Amino acid sequence: MSNALNESKTESSSESTGVTTDVSTSTTTTGESDEQIRDEWSDFHFDGPAKLSVEDLNVHYGTDHALTDVSMEIPENSVTALIGPSGCGKSTYLRCLNRMNDRIKAARIEGSVELDGTEIYDANANLVELRKRVGMVFQQPNPFPKSIRDNISYGPRKHGDIDTGLLARLLGRDDTDEEIELVERSLRQAALWDEVSDRLDDNALGLSGGQQQRLCIARALATDPEVILMDEPASALDPIATSKIEDLVEELSEEYTVVIVTHNMQQAARISDQTAVFLTGGELVEYDDTEKIFENPESQRVEDYISGKFG
Amino acid sequence: MSDAYAQETTLVREDSNYVDRALDTTIALTIVSFLLGLLTAIQVVALTTGGNALTTLHLQLLAVVGGGIGTVGVLSWLGVVPITDQRVRGIGIGLVLSLLGLTILSVVLPVTMASLFGIVLLLEAAAVLTAGVLSWQGLFDTDPSPSAGLVAGIAFGIIGLLIGAAFGGMFLPSIAFSFGLPDGTLVSVDFAHLLPALVVGVALAAATIAPREDLGTAIPTMVLVGGLGLVILTGAIGPGWTWSPGEDIDGSFTGQIVIPLFVLVGSVVSSWGAAKARAGYGAVGRQFGSYLVIYLNAATMVAIMVSIVAFVLMKGLNYAFHGVTIGALSALVLLAPLLAVVVDWARTPAGTPDWHAGARQAFRAIPVVLVGGLAGWLAFLQVTGGRFAVPFQYTVKLPNENTNEVLDTAATITSEPTVGTLVVIFSGLLLTWYFLRKYGSLRSVGTQSDRLADVERWIGIAVGVTLLLSAVLLVLPPVLEVGVLFGVELFVWLNVDTIARPVVSVLVPVGAVAAISLAVLAIQTLVVGSGRMADRAFEGVHRIRVGLFGGVGLLAAVTIAQPSVGVNPRIGPWDIVPAVALVGAALAFTAGIVTAALARSADDRLERVLRKESALGLAATTGFVVVAALHVAVTWVDFTVAGVTVGVTGTLSWPMTMSSYIPLVPEPGGILPAVVGTVWLVVGAALFAVPLGVGAAVFLTEYAEQGKFTGLVEVATNSLWSTPSVVFGLFGAAFLIPRLGEQESLLTGMLVLGFMLLPLVLITSREAIKSVPDEYRDASAALGVSKWETVKSVVLPAAVPGVITGVILGVGRIAGETAPLILVLGSTLNETSVVDVLGAFRFVGHPPFVANDMLLASSPAVPTQIWAIISAGVAGSTSMGWGSALVLLLIVLTFYAVGIVTRSYFRRKLNYE
Repeated sequence: MSNALNESKTESSSESTGVTTDVSTSTTTTGESDEQIRDEWSDFHFDGPAKLSVEDLNVHYGTDHALTDVSMEIPENSVTALIGPSGCGKSTYLRCLNRMNDRIKAARIEGSVELDGTEIYDANANLVELRKRVGMVFQQPNPFPKSIRDNISYGPRKHGDIDTGLLARLLGRDDTDEEIELVERSLRQAALWDEVSDRLDDNALGLSGGQQQRLCIARALATDPEVILMDEPASALDPIATSKIEDLVEELSEEYTVVIVTHNMQQAARISDQTAVFLTGGELVEYDDTEKIFENPESQRVEDYISGKFG
Repeated sequence: MSDAYAQETTLVREDSNYVDRALDTTIALTIVSFLLGLLTAIQVVALTTGGNALTTLHLQLLAVVGGGIGTVGVLSWLGVVPITDQRVRGIGIGLVLSLLGLTILSVVLPVTMASLFGIVLLLEAAAVLTAGVLSWQGLFDTDPSPSAGLVAGIAFGIIGLLIGAAFGGMFLPSIAFSFGLPDGTLVSVDFAHLLPALVVGVALAAATIAPREDLGTAIPTMVLVGGLGLVILTGAIGPGWTWSPGEDIDGSFTGQIVIPLFVLVGSVVSSWGAAKARAGYGAVGRQFGSYLVIYLNAATMVAIMVSIVAFVLMKGLNYAFHGVTIGALSALVLLAPLLAVVVDWARTPAGTPDWHAGARQAFRAIPVVLVGGLAGWLAFLQVTGGRFAVPFQYTVKLPNENTNEVLDTAATITSEPTVGTLVVIFSGLLLTWYFLRKYGSLRSVGTQSDRLADVERWIGIAVGVTLLLSAVLLVLPPVLEVGVLFGVELFVWLNVDTIARPVVSVLVPVGAVAAISLAVLAIQTLVVGSGRMADRAFEGVHRIRVGLFGGVGLLAAVTIAQPSVGVNPRIGPWDIVPAVALVGAALAFTAGIVTAALARSADDRLERVLRKESALGLAATTGFVVVAALHVAVTWVDFTVAGVTVGVTGTLSWPMTMSSYIPLVPEPGGILPAVVGTVWLVVGAALFAVPLGVGAAVFLTEYAEQGKFTGLVEVATNSLWSTPSVVFGLFGAAFLIPRLGEQESLLTGMLVLGFMLLPLVLITSREAIKSVPDEYRDASAALGVSKWETVKSVVLPAAVPGVITGVILGVGRIAGETAPLILVLGSTLNETSVVDVLGAFRFVGHPPFVANDMLLASSPAVPTQIWAIISAGVAGSTSMGWGSALVLLLIVLTFYAVGIVTRSYFRRKLNYE
């Protein structure tokens, strides 16, 4: 499975040009106290292999240093929350994990990110395969202006995972059993099936904001990913829709590795297994079990941030 | 917000008082005089109109304005369209009062239009002055600034300069001085013009700037408007007045144009003054004043456009619509989609449930009542066998003698019980599409069984095979002859028709029986079984869906198979296909009505499903009717049921666009060949330009690095768009024609128009693609979908509204393009035969393998024909030219209308409004 990442495809290589990939470079220019703290959190260990392991990740937007020497390992089938004040690089970090930052021309990314031990910033990495395995949900619900059914089956169909036979295509019948099954499974996983099962062919933009966001989650699930990245998925939603999303995230963590950016510290405390705190300047200050971060953080800055004195 | 608050603060001024109402009426009067000025400027109304004619004119205007404002007033009183703004109310009432006053004046005084203008301007000047003086004396509540401002002062100063210069020469003797310039030229200056100009200009500017704002507005307005009014009223400048500026400038100014111009200027200025006073001067006053001036400016633009269309309409109406005939039945069929749309509009929620909700609902029902009433009247004509005709007169030039002859004609509604098949297909397809949109899909509710899925699959295969078979039979020659095959002399004659005919003759009844059984299946699901009918409708939704869709699909397939071998199986006097189609339509209609009735008493989710089923039933009904009409269209056999005939030739006839020119008789023919030529030009140009333009737009926005290259392309497209059309024509004539058949041809015309269309398609498509939100691209990329797939499946569909708008606007422009066509198309005038582009395609055994003589021959087109008739006077009468111009205008406006409707449809679909 992991070898598939390194199969080069022309499409992926065209998108990866312009991004400096330098695995060996690492710069350490941080203060002493932070150095000590980093020693502390880098002792954070868990059983089993890391799903994602990030080492010395640096991101520059032009002259702006958005992420500084971030290293962390994310365990499988858990929820990892990324918290921190605005502009601290959480989203940038998240977007590095499925190489969405490649789409920003000014971004320069250095360091290493490994998915199941395979380097995703390898020059020959297959972006299609990577993004199939690492799905993403955005801050604003962004369903396509298509039917609910088409939103779900869009990804698998484009990847050729749903095989519509020649005859079916000739007769214009692409709703194969396979597709019907996939749509139902994804919507059930996203806890949306009961609400939309009788209007799968209606426009997805007719759904409410919370339903749209769950549809986006279902759409990400349809390509059968291993990791799901969520960029403040509930920030544009009302409290009821938010709690639905939170329940969903907890359920998903049984099967998937979830990395979630949030501004809401209560939310992070409620749903995550471990929490990483980013502070200004794009540095990862502390990364540990959620309980420890919220009850007894190592760093004074983290404690200040969590208790609301800063940020 | 309480009344007390409103009175305590100056945020809301107190209720309108008499001064405010009077000023509103003054503003209304200036609007009326402005519009009358426009009417006289474009010479719809003559300045010398007087007596009864003038009274009638004003009464007509009063009827129109009073009717409109009265309707709004009643609706406002009912709370349907509440008008709460005091100013809007005041101006509305003022419009009626002003016209009433003008009507009374025209009866009481012996005035002409011109002298009435003088009186009106004087009245306006007096009103503005009174308001200014009252405000200055503090007699009504205003908030004036210390001065009217420099800008207003300069504007009045310039107007004063012009007036002083113009009138100075009239009253003062010439005081001319001449002096030589260093290069020897002699310049002559007449101080009789110059001095009064300076004096009046400076005086007006000073009167504006020096006093407080209220007087600074009122005095110059009074001087200017009152002066203009006096000049007109005293007849110093009357309708017969002319002024030639002298030997330096050619041409002369007449009262016919100067008086309307004075009225327009005077109306704008006094409306500015009155509006400022109405809003209490100060910042608010200036805003209201400039708002009104801008409003009148926009009104001028609209008036100019409307008058152009109206002018062509008046000139061409009688000729263009000579002999228009439509059967009441055909009109009813064409009305059906419109009825569906207005009913849908009336169904949308009718607003808040307060006391006037009833009135609101009545308001929404008005279009339904109108269309329904029209339908009822047509049905009455049809049933009683009546006939309705609007008589016209038109003039034609006799071909041999050079005389004109006046002929009578009429636009007629007849009661023949015949409908043309094309009319039925057109209306039916529109309705089917409309209901299918309501239907959405029901694939995920109800109980699906394996056997039903098999049936569905086999219906699909049967339809596909039947269509394939008919396509093969259509292409094959009736007798197949195989000669030498692989060197072996082998002669086989195969009479395809004799073999295929029995096959299709059996296929058609079998398909028809299958279709009818499928439709019965749908009904049976509803009717037979235990439990509530609504539950059966819910559970059996798949059987209903497969039954109705399968029935229509199968029947349509066998209908299309019939003409491939020329059979039309009958049982007794009945053609099988239409008979079955009508039974199917009845069954489907029953299903639609029953489910609609069930939906009335069902709960939320069930109701939604039942409504969709009802839409499905209605879609299938119209689908079956379309199949019946399709049968007539493909077999050329009329079909009559219950006295109503669906015929090959219908009762819709519009000679101007549906027949060719008939030479050498006084009866005028039509311009069908030119219309067809124009349609082909547009189609060809669009086929050339749209793929290229959209493709280039996709490349430039999605792929190319934004930089010098894309900038260069942008400059190139913009300059291509502004290149004069005659240059395109010259290019076509000098470059394309020598390379494409060496003669003026349809193909060259298509290409040249395509070149002209290209930049607009490119520009608008680029804008449309740019405006697709990046979120869609991100979402697609995050799913691991490649760029091209994203563009194809997400970006382009979202950009469709913009692209379509661009194409339609461009097509509207090139459809009326004349100059390049004169150069490259050739002007075959009054062609009697229609270009048959499709039929002229031939396959040839050598490259380019396809030949088409029609494309390489010259062709008529509507714009070139108009140019030839009116400008060159080559053939046909002038009235035929105007009729053609009207038809061209209708074609272009239709393109725009279609463009607007398509865009709003796609926009609604994408934004889900």
